[in-house]
Amino acid sequence: MAGVRAAAALTPAVRTLAALPILVVIATKRDDGSVQLNPVWFELKDGFVWLNSNTNRTWPKNLQRDRELTMLLIDPKVPDRYAQIRGRLVSLIPDPKHEFIDRLSRRYTGKKFRELEPNEHRVTFKIQPVTVTGQMI
Amino acid sequence: MAVELSPKMQTFTQEVFPAIIGTNRKDASVEIVPVWFEQKDGSFWINGGTNRGWFKHLQRDPRITLLLIDPKEMFRWAQVEGRMVNWAEDPGGEHINQLSHRYLKKDYQGPRTGRIKIQIEPLRVTGSIDGWR
Repeated sequence: MAGVRAAAALTPAVRTLAALPILVVIATKRDDGSVQLNPVWFELKDGFVWLNSNTNRTWPKNLQRDRELTMLLIDPKVPDRYAQIRGRLVSLIPDPKHEFIDRLSRRYTGKKFRELEPNEHRVTFKIQPVTVTGQMI
Repeated sequence: MAVELSPKMQTFTQEVFPAIIGTNRKDASVEIVPVWFEQKDGSFWINGGTNRGWFKHLQRDPRITLLLIDPKEMFRWAQVEGRMVNWAEDPGGEHINQLSHRYLKKDYQGPRTGRIKIQIEPLRVTGSIDGWR
């Protein structure tokens, strides 16, 4: 990953797309090196992409191991318009009072997140965009 | 071993939206891009120029993951882990033209030469279509 450590600024087109309540598709790698794709809630704020998950799922484990991922935003009206963003994990923030997941939930559903299940721990991922490619860069 | 698609997946894969494909770059990062696809007889078919990054990646590592997601209702999705089992030239662009009719209902407007079609065999299917959550 040498040479791509600098942060990438996102263009107005990408920021406009990211403001919509669409899901971002994230790509991480499993232990065996195969690609895992997941559509997830996100927020773009202060130049970072913010994700949140239950710590038991696979993609957060993959992301913590590799500390990098690839993200894809697609224009829901024009599926050929997209932005592919490579990012690196800069910090992992526990969300014990589920404030961040509530905030994300409001963005997508207008409501607070559901009650957490027993032993469900939420964590927030702060992602630095590193490179952006695609049709709307 | 290839898996058979469920009846729900058979129906879902006839819907018209791009597949999001993930392939492994040489530097171990993942490339993800949307591409046209079709599902036929249990295999997935995509089409591209031989210069596409994802085709180069697949020649080195045939593993490919497809995310099929309804762009209008993004909770409807399936993840297909697969591998490229075959690729062949697409003489005259017959296959890309067929895909163009599936997506745009008209003849393909781009170059019809130098194209290839790729067959992907599904190995595992997860996601909301088959009821996983």
